[in-house]
Amino acid sequence: MSSLGNARRGIRAPHLLLIPAIVIMLLGMGYPMIWQVVTSLQKYGLQQQFGKPAPFVGLDNYVTLATDPQLWLVVGKSLAFCLITAALTLAIGTLLALLMSAVTKTARLILQVALLLAWAMPVVSAMTVWIWLFDRRRGAINYLLDMIPGVNMNRFDWLSTPLTFLLVACIIVVWMSVPFVSFSVYAGLTQVSDEVMEAAQLDGANGWQRFWGVILPMIRPVIAIVLLLQLIWDLRVFTQIKLLQDAGSKSGDYDLLGTYIYKLGTSSQDFGMASAVSILVLGITVALSWFYIRSLLKEDEA
Amino acid sequence: MKRKIGIVAAATAALVVLAGCSTPAAPEAESADGQNITLWLMGGDTPDALRDYLKTEYADATGGTLTIEQQDWADALSKLTTALPDAENTPDVTEIGNTWSPTFTTVGAFSDISDMYDELGGSKLLQSFVDVGAVDGANYALPYYFGSRYIFFRKDIWAAAGLEVPTTLAEFNDDAAKLKTATQSGFYIGGEDWRNGISWIFANGGELAAKDGDIWKSTLSDPKTIEGLTQLQKLYTDSSLAPVTEADSTPWVNINNNAATGAPEAATIIAPGWAHWSIGDLTPDPKDATKTVATWNDATFGNFVLPGVDGGAAPVFAGGSNIAISAASKNQAGARELMKIIFSEEYQNMLGANGLGPANTDYTASLGDDQFATALAESAKNSKLTPAAPGWAAVEGSGLLEEFFGKVNGGGDIKALAKEYDAKIDELING
Amino acid sequence: MRTSKILLSVLAIVIAALWAFPVYWMVSSSFIPTAILQSFIPTFFPNKPTGSNYVGAVADGSFWSALGMSIAVTLTVVVFCIIFAFLAAVAISRFRFRGRRSFVIAVLIVQMLPAEGLFIAQYKMVSSVHLLDSVIGVSVIYIAAVVPFTIWMLRGFVAGVPADLEEAAMVDGLSRFGAFMRITFPLLAPGLVASGVYAFLQAWNEFTVALVLLPSEAAQTLPLWLRGFVQASATRETDWGQVMAASTLVAVPVIIFFLIVQGRLTSGLVSGAVKG
Repeated sequence: MSSLGNARRGIRAPHLLLIPAIVIMLLGMGYPMIWQVVTSLQKYGLQQQFGKPAPFVGLDNYVTLATDPQLWLVVGKSLAFCLITAALTLAIGTLLALLMSAVTKTARLILQVALLLAWAMPVVSAMTVWIWLFDRRRGAINYLLDMIPGVNMNRFDWLSTPLTFLLVACIIVVWMSVPFVSFSVYAGLTQVSDEVMEAAQLDGANGWQRFWGVILPMIRPVIAIVLLLQLIWDLRVFTQIKLLQDAGSKSGDYDLLGTYIYKLGTSSQDFGMASAVSILVLGITVALSWFYIRSLLKEDEA
Repeated sequence: MKRKIGIVAAATAALVVLAGCSTPAAPEAESADGQNITLWLMGGDTPDALRDYLKTEYADATGGTLTIEQQDWADALSKLTTALPDAENTPDVTEIGNTWSPTFTTVGAFSDISDMYDELGGSKLLQSFVDVGAVDGANYALPYYFGSRYIFFRKDIWAAAGLEVPTTLAEFNDDAAKLKTATQSGFYIGGEDWRNGISWIFANGGELAAKDGDIWKSTLSDPKTIEGLTQLQKLYTDSSLAPVTEADSTPWVNINNNAATGAPEAATIIAPGWAHWSIGDLTPDPKDATKTVATWNDATFGNFVLPGVDGGAAPVFAGGSNIAISAASKNQAGARELMKIIFSEEYQNMLGANGLGPANTDYTASLGDDQFATALAESAKNSKLTPAAPGWAAVEGSGLLEEFFGKVNGGGDIKALAKEYDAKIDELING
Repeated sequence: MRTSKILLSVLAIVIAALWAFPVYWMVSSSFIPTAILQSFIPTFFPNKPTGSNYVGAVADGSFWSALGMSIAVTLTVVVFCIIFAFLAAVAISRFRFRGRRSFVIAVLIVQMLPAEGLFIAQYKMVSSVHLLDSVIGVSVIYIAAVVPFTIWMLRGFVAGVPADLEEAAMVDGLSRFGAFMRITFPLLAPGLVASGVYAFLQAWNEFTVALVLLPSEAAQTLPLWLRGFVQASATRETDWGQVMAASTLVAVPVIIFFLIVQGRLTSGLVSGAVKG
């Protein structure tokens, strides 16, 4: 009797449980996404925004996009920025996690609190502080670097060339993202049992070998998801670049994909193209993470 | 040419008014009584006293409430794009950058107010601003205020170098170069600051774009434009320490003495007239000891109008705003009522008294007759607007001009850059 | 061994100091009078601390309305996000059913949508139902953006609680729901806290969507208020003292909240990720 009830509920309950999440995702993301796909196939500029019908132009926007060297430059820059930043974040984060597991309790706590402070800083607050730190005249960073003998950084303008601009962006993003990575990896490390470590030590493995041979394989799942998330976030990095542009230059040389799309949409008022580029970004993201998604799904099936 | 369009517009407007009189069902059917409306103002240029005046007058005239919302210039373009077409959220009346007027006007964002044109000032209104807000002789956006830019300089530094106020542009360029030191700009101008930089193009007879039949074309490669850009590049290299990435910013902070060094960062700057409130000797603010206030000191500071190539005043960029009624607004009558208040003699005089050039040229006297008012009037006389092309807001919004001027001032090959950016701007300029 | 541990500990503390420096700099500068900060020589410690920057930052009252808005939006997002994500996580980790795989793929993909391309559509949708400048409008978008990641996080936790435990409790006479509440729910607490904190951070810090969906000044959240404050300040010489005070005011609630839940958060965040 009761088992029959369970079975019946078992058929319907999961779908009911999913309804709220599905409805909210359809509302907040689904509808805009469909609008975006449709718009990417239209000529949709300011005139359409003000009520003119939007003519369908097929794949015209995508053709324009594919033949625009400017766009591919931005894509290249964004990919490079994303890969370098994510790799740095992961490397530093993992090193700090290893450091956490190798130091005294007090030192670990101090390091953790410091990282938490950086992690907890709201992006806009953090950017405001960093922009001031890098200010060419009143910034503490130029002041401190200038004190090193033989280094003349007085009035060095970090935001005046694309390379140093992106370097600053990279430093800030790494600073913000490392805490998440460290904590995740550290928690992963705490799940590597002491016996395994001791056994490895008895085998005479040195620190490096232990890391590659024993520790890394065990924390691989954490590393994988953390890396994937960093890649996705760093590819779409927007607020940081936008606020740095407020302080430096709006010029296209300083754009990554996020700001490039934003400008296409708001400033050049070409929503058709903006939508097409968004779809391209989505494509790149899915491509970056495809292997991971597949392995997750497989594991999920099992 | 411009004048002519103005006259045609006025004539058309008059016809429309006449026609309106003979048609019984004029748009007056709707009443402004009790309509609550919203006005968007850009940035903080309109002082609080003026805002309060508008609110009070509007309440008196209609019994409704006027809400004023201030928008940041930086986000204004995207907010206008999203809000104006949307009847539920549009401001009823909005200030817009004068250079954006053609873009929004051509897509039909604003209501046709040709029938009110004469009542609001007609041909007395600043015609270059009226022109950018008109399409095919119908008026949509009208001038709100103007402010053109002129030169502020340090008398003490110029005198110490034995220099006099220059009378030609070439003289100015040379003097500025002589005043540059390792820590002081002779003339402070940001590399991407095209709004000030175009003065050198205009002065040499160049233009940013020209209309060829129905099609707008970017004219950066025009020899006159190139000549202006060449001068600007040399001027930037020889006299400015400003970052090459700096655009239109707050140069007046650089001409005051710096608290740390006791010397200014720049001997000369170009700025909108109202900057003079921020220039002078710095003393602690009596209201708040942690802040400072600037008091103009005629012995140390001076101002003059940027001289033209052959003397006189160079044509500088005509800064300022237009104002228009949103076509999507449900409170057209209330919005029209507010326009009448804005273009009233009293409000126009209030603008002038606060250093903002009044839209109606009859009231320019309200600016006063001090050195700043004189300079404003003199520089405004020759001032020029950016092209009235439908896609101009998109061109500005895309950041292409900042990019182009930054690359020129960074020492790039002007001809090659001009060609490259002509092509990029041509894609956007026709909307 | 001992010396190496001490050396590493010293290194850890040095790195900690470097990492926390921007935060320290913000708080320290917020207590220094602006006149001193205008100097070209940085001031590293507030010798004569002043509260005047804070007074100036909150002077016009817009701070308080922004704080109220931020709190309302954040609470809404956290509460609904946890409920929705929890239900969905139970469904996908406890049941096999048709459409499950598609749902999981959808959850993964939604996380990757670039928000910058969606905002015009989101604006159109929200304004067509007259919810611009409202808590609900912006919250719906936030929840939709945050829910996928929280589902993903919670899914690991739910799967980590053995179903046998529940069944054992049911044998002891509890209903399925009762068993769930008594046995499973407490075990999930760290996971719920972790996802709650994640949602809190996203909602409190979000900037781009708020910029578009909350156009009027009266409805702005704290990040918008802060940026507006910085921009208003930039027409003069930037008033770094007040700007730092404003940044501190925006950051403090998050930092406090974060430090309180710190322990649970870290264990929570990760056991979810590890399972992933």
